Amino acid sequence: MSGPFLLTLRFGMTLSLYLFIGWAFLFLWRSFKTESELLASRKTPPLSLIYIDHKEKKKIKHFTVPEINIGRDPHSDIYLENDTVSAHHAQLIYHHGQWWLEDLNSTNGTTLNNEDVKTPTIVISNDEIYCGKVPLKIHLTIGDLSPNTQKV
Amino acid sequence: MINKKKQNKVFSFSLPNFSLLHWLSAIFLALYSIILTLSPSVRARSWNADYIYAHWTGFFLWLFLTAITEKYLNKNLPDRDPYIFTIAALLSGWGLLSIWRLTPLFGIRQTIWLAVSMGALMIGTKWDKLLPTLRRYKYILLISGLILTSLTLIFGANPLGIGPRLWLGFGGVYLQPSEPLKLLLVIYLSAYLANKPIQDQQIFPFILPTLFLASIALLLLLVQRDLGAASIFIMLYASILYLAIARKRVLFINASILLAVALFGYFFIDIIHTRLSIWISPWGDPSGRGYQIIQSLMAIANGGLWGRGIGIGSPAFVPVAHSDFIFTSLAEETGLAGTLGLFALLGIFLSRGLRIALRAPSRYLRLLAAGLTMYLGIQSLLIIGGNLRLLPLTGVTLPFISYGGSSLLTSFIALLLLLKISNENEEAAPLPKPQPYHLLSALLMLGLVLSAIINGWWAILRGPDLLTRSDNPRRTLADLYVPRGNILDRNNKPIVITKGTSGELSREYLYPNLSPVTGYTNSIYGQAGIEFALDEYLRGLAGNPTSTIWWNQLLYGQPPSGLDLRLSIDIDLQEDVDQRLSKHKGAVVLINAQSGEILVMSSHPTFDANQLDETVLNDENSPLINRATQGQYPISITETSLFFKTSEIRTIIRIPVEDGSPIEMAIAASALSNAGLAPAPRLALAVNTPQSEWVILPALGEETQLFTQSETDSFLKNFTTDNGAYWHFLVADEKENITWLLAGTTKNWQGAPLGLVILLEENNAGLAEEIAKSLLSN
Repeated sequence: MSGPFLLTLRFGMTLSLYLFIGWAFLFLWRSFKTESELLASRKTPPLSLIYIDHKEKKKIKHFTVPEINIGRDPHSDIYLENDTVSAHHAQLIYHHGQWWLEDLNSTNGTTLNNEDVKTPTIVISNDEIYCGKVPLKIHLTIGDLSPNTQKV
Repeated sequence: MINKKKQNKVFSFSLPNFSLLHWLSAIFLALYSIILTLSPSVRARSWNADYIYAHWTGFFLWLFLTAITEKYLNKNLPDRDPYIFTIAALLSGWGLLSIWRLTPLFGIRQTIWLAVSMGALMIGTKWDKLLPTLRRYKYILLISGLILTSLTLIFGANPLGIGPRLWLGFGGVYLQPSEPLKLLLVIYLSAYLANKPIQDQQIFPFILPTLFLASIALLLLLVQRDLGAASIFIMLYASILYLAIARKRVLFINASILLAVALFGYFFIDIIHTRLSIWISPWGDPSGRGYQIIQSLMAIANGGLWGRGIGIGSPAFVPVAHSDFIFTSLAEETGLAGTLGLFALLGIFLSRGLRIALRAPSRYLRLLAAGLTMYLGIQSLLIIGGNLRLLPLTGVTLPFISYGGSSLLTSFIALLLLLKISNENEEAAPLPKPQPYHLLSALLMLGLVLSAIINGWWAILRGPDLLTRSDNPRRTLADLYVPRGNILDRNNKPIVITKGTSGELSREYLYPNLSPVTGYTNSIYGQAGIEFALDEYLRGLAGNPTSTIWWNQLLYGQPPSGLDLRLSIDIDLQEDVDQRLSKHKGAVVLINAQSGEILVMSSHPTFDANQLDETVLNDENSPLINRATQGQYPISITETSLFFKTSEIRTIIRIPVEDGSPIEMAIAASALSNAGLAPAPRLALAVNTPQSEWVILPALGEETQLFTQSETDSFLKNFTTDNGAYWHFLVADEKENITWLLAGTTKNWQGAPLGLVILLEENNAGLAEEIAKSLLSN
């Protein structure tokens, strides 16, 4: 009888090893889930752009997404029908708790408060951007920034 | 009362801190210990056995140490990675108990070393400035490591007394400086390479000092002939350099250096040549240089899928099972199921290590964490691959698991540094070039997956082939515990029996004169004769129901009881012939011409299978040869030879060859006695199976019509003697010193027809006629 009894114990031992591994994987999955939910709960602070479109009308656009494309391409988030604007002209990206302006190698360049934008630059409320000869004004709601500056 | 209260308090205080994963690893190790305690009852197949208790010391100390350490970690490193300590604790407990199982003396030492290592871990968690201190003193650390290692060149010792002298001994405690040296290299490289940002043009001058120090260390290890540490050194250096400067060419240069060293070594350096040629083809020298690796593969094969069970396998057959080959003993006793679990644990550990590196707040800590992970990963894969013959064998330890104080302590210090880095809760430093992390983590995981596949190959696919090899010592071991089938004569008189009790079974040959036919089964000299040819039945691996064999293998790792075998030999007739032949050299075969059953098969000189030794083996008269079946003697020899002279007979006998064995001639004689029909010979008649009693075994070959009725009639007319009871013809040749006698029964014979051949290695017609007469005339 010793054989079958020990066989049961042997299976129990292997089972406990796999329970350990299974539990470790479960914990890994849980922490992955928690992390992804934490990321999902991060909100982009709303950003508004005020600019004059090709019909010479003043326009205000509100964004809650972390990435805004500006260009002459009709699919751009901000569509500027102007000869001085390149198809993919510039980009506004939210990361590290800030909005960043980046020029996408446009022909006529981008300026921020009359300074050329060569590397990604942080923008704040009431900054003035020129894409070619088109001016855009930024408006940020600062109060919403706080949850994003927290370290996770 | 006060004491009791205090204990209760400690107990209730430590319980909540003991995480679920820790409980599971404690259950795993507790079951391991229980199985090990009870394992002797499986070998003895009864509850009345000598149980093993010593290893419980190791288990309880492990339980105590991990509980205390976890409490300490929770207090001092609350934000640490939650997996790596738990996994390291499980691995070190698994290793500790395996060492207890293999050699209790080493188990005691390893338990002490585990206490020292955990103690170091606990002290280290309190040392806040440890990581910056290591960075500041990188040169002093590495150089003192080099000095310590070079001391072994002068004061080196080996705890075993033989082999490479890689240790430093102080009053019975041995330290292997090459173990901490690897760790110091990682610390030095990550501290140095993190210092300056890289400018593309100045890489070479920048890395020159590291190259210089690493080369000194490498040379030192090569002079010591510590190939394992040297190869880890090269790979570690390349990995950390690659992580720091993110140039793929580092890896290519490293790979080509390794290849060049291997090629150079293969042709010019003995030890490298030996290692590589064993790796490429171990099968050519299974008892010499290939012994260790082949024994290792057999142990892995013996483990199979589910393992033989703790304490029930025989991992100690592999040399240095407790250290370099501990993976093999895990594989044998816990099987592929256990080692796949081990690979999964290593995989989680290594991926957590690389994650800690990615999350590290500075370049120094990131390189350090990645370097430590690579160190543990490379060393594990190198020795696991070596045990599986996936890589050439290098004598390194399996971190956390193998026996060895220096190795265990070094692994725990690496663990401490990883835990401390994971506890830093600042934001991760930017990572400009992530490719090295992708590539190296992929390489580590690929290594684990390959090891798992190769492990399955040896354990499952190649397993049966490996286990039936005659140099598998487990077969001899099983012979001591599992009764081998008896060999009986045609009237069920025992010829060969198994005697003794389980654990001390031995084979007895009751009729030693038949030894050239029955052969022998011997732990030193292997097997021969019927013992060899019908080993599967005698060992119980054939004839038993497959389910019985499978069940016995699963429960005991041994085949079921062997089956009894009945031979066609008539032991009374055999005894008579053996007495007449006695000191004469020759062979006699008597066959039932109808059924082909061999009644007598005698080969002289004989030997005693009970007393096999070198003198028998080297006897110039070759008693081990069964002259009746293996001897080849000239058939047509001289002018006087009947076979030759009477061309009529030559054509009748239709034997085209010049030489023949007595058994072949006996079949021809049987055909002459049986109206020209040659029977298929039988020696093993039947086997006694558990479900259907005696089962007839097939004959060796087929019946053949050798002559027509008229041919035999005209032949027998000329040679019938003794009132027509039997026929015979005789050739006795003085020059060749040989006597052939073919004989058989005639129609006047009352019983089954018989065929007889007598061969003497001397010119002695009288003796041949006397034997023929005694066998055929009554």
